[in-house]
Amino acid sequence: MTFKAWIKTVTFYELIVGMKATMSHLLHYKPITLQYPHEKRTLPDNYRGMLSLLRYDDGTEKCVGCDLCEAACPSRVIRVVSAEVPGEPTKRYSKEYYMDMTRCLFCGLCVDACPVDALGMTREYEWAVYDKRQLHLNKEQLLAIGDRSFPVREKQLELQHPNVAFFNVAFKHLPQKPD
Amino acid sequence: MTELSLRLAVSFVQILAECSIVMLTVAIMTLAERKVLGWMQDRMGPMEVGPYGILQPLADGVKLFFKEDIVPAGANKAMFALAPMLTMVVSLIGFAVIPFGPNVTLDINGLMIKPFVIADINIGILYILAIASIGAYGIILGGWSSNSKYSLLGGLRSAAQVISYELNVGLAIVGVLLLSGSLSLVEITEAQAGGFWHWFIWGARPDGFFPIHTQVFAFVVFLISGVAETNRIPFDLPEAESELVAGFFTEYSGMKFAFFVSAEYASMVLVSCVAASLFLGGWNAPYPGTIFEYIGLEELAWIEHIMWFAGKVYFFLFVFIWLRATLPRLRYDQLMRFGWKVLLPIALANIIITAITVYFFPR
Repeated sequence: MTFKAWIKTVTFYELIVGMKATMSHLLHYKPITLQYPHEKRTLPDNYRGMLSLLRYDDGTEKCVGCDLCEAACPSRVIRVVSAEVPGEPTKRYSKEYYMDMTRCLFCGLCVDACPVDALGMTREYEWAVYDKRQLHLNKEQLLAIGDRSFPVREKQLELQHPNVAFFNVAFKHLPQKPD
Repeated sequence: MTELSLRLAVSFVQILAECSIVMLTVAIMTLAERKVLGWMQDRMGPMEVGPYGILQPLADGVKLFFKEDIVPAGANKAMFALAPMLTMVVSLIGFAVIPFGPNVTLDINGLMIKPFVIADINIGILYILAIASIGAYGIILGGWSSNSKYSLLGGLRSAAQVISYELNVGLAIVGVLLLSGSLSLVEITEAQAGGFWHWFIWGARPDGFFPIHTQVFAFVVFLISGVAETNRIPFDLPEAESELVAGFFTEYSGMKFAFFVSAEYASMVLVSCVAASLFLGGWNAPYPGTIFEYIGLEELAWIEHIMWFAGKVYFFLFVFIWLRATLPRLRYDQLMRFGWKVLLPIALANIIITAITVYFFPR
């Protein structure tokens, strides 16, 4: 041990430096925490909150029951039961749609995977419940979340043929969604 | 007969006043610790109960009072109930010999009463050392009777720690005893009257200013050992929450838990009082006399004395919180090595040097 290190040890130098640091935080008191229920932090624009199902402006569901969200989900949150639209054999819809939000990690892969933009991530995050079965959401509940979080709905596009399902991915010859 | 009953009544009133003051300080400390700790860590501390959270101790007390009192299976019920009481009682009766204010004597019907000290016994500091060691019994009993390995480990650690650091406390105050020539806290405090250079931390002789008898090393040893004896961070191994859940009071709940916690704070207050009395002149102001005397209000001088005593005690209590906000916990071997190989030699050397200086330059 050098003489300098010895002097530092016997005078509690490091200890005094640490105590000076805490004292300076006390004197220049500026809390970085918020009083949460009373004041809330502003969320970033791309915040990924509670998932929801969306509708077109005429009130029909966007979901076409393609199961891509279920395939994309890494935690197997989503379960889709797809069915034909009665009377229209080429059109499908999700007869049942379940999300087990206890497992969701809010990665947003289902929203990216959806070809018709039927899924949306809201800015809701206060979803603490006493019974975790309340987090097993069905289609009506998810649609209700979408209704209250996305009041402005998209128009349903005019399709070339009423029996052709619309995908917004790569069919350049089909009508594109307006920007 | 009337004299005895009058003396009993006066003592009872004094004890009641002292206990309520100490418990009030404990309540303030529970809040102050959380607030100051929060401020030092850029948080706010409790803010919900009352304006700025000042009613938090009250809410905590009410909550703990209505909590279920759980006794673990296989626990020794009598000892389990005895341990928190023992700790609490022991940490409160230590205050009996602390002089809170000047050594005045009131004459009530021929009965001599000292209003600011409950019992001016001539072995005051020995009494405090004895009481502080009994406090360890409560912790060890609580740890043993809980029938839990975490509690037992906490109790054992506490036993080893208290024995190691009790020794340093005892040796650190020997220098003060050599200087004052008395074991009574009242006389030790009176020997430091007349300005801060007469306090034993500075240690000038009564006619001089040069710090020939300085006890600053003993003061540092006493302060560190006091932190260790009250099981506070950085010496909180008996209740190391990251290793032992909560140490010796892991299995306690409700009012028994509250007893342990308030006993810890009360022993902090006790150590602060003893440190203030021994090294920082107790109720003496850092200047000769008092301001109230200079402006001609001699009968009110006791207010100033008590304010100085309270100020010193609260300074030490703040240092306790400050240390907690700054330092991490020591490892167990570091704790033992520091106690036996660093503090003990310093305390012994301090005794020798003080003895030599007192022999050649008597006060």
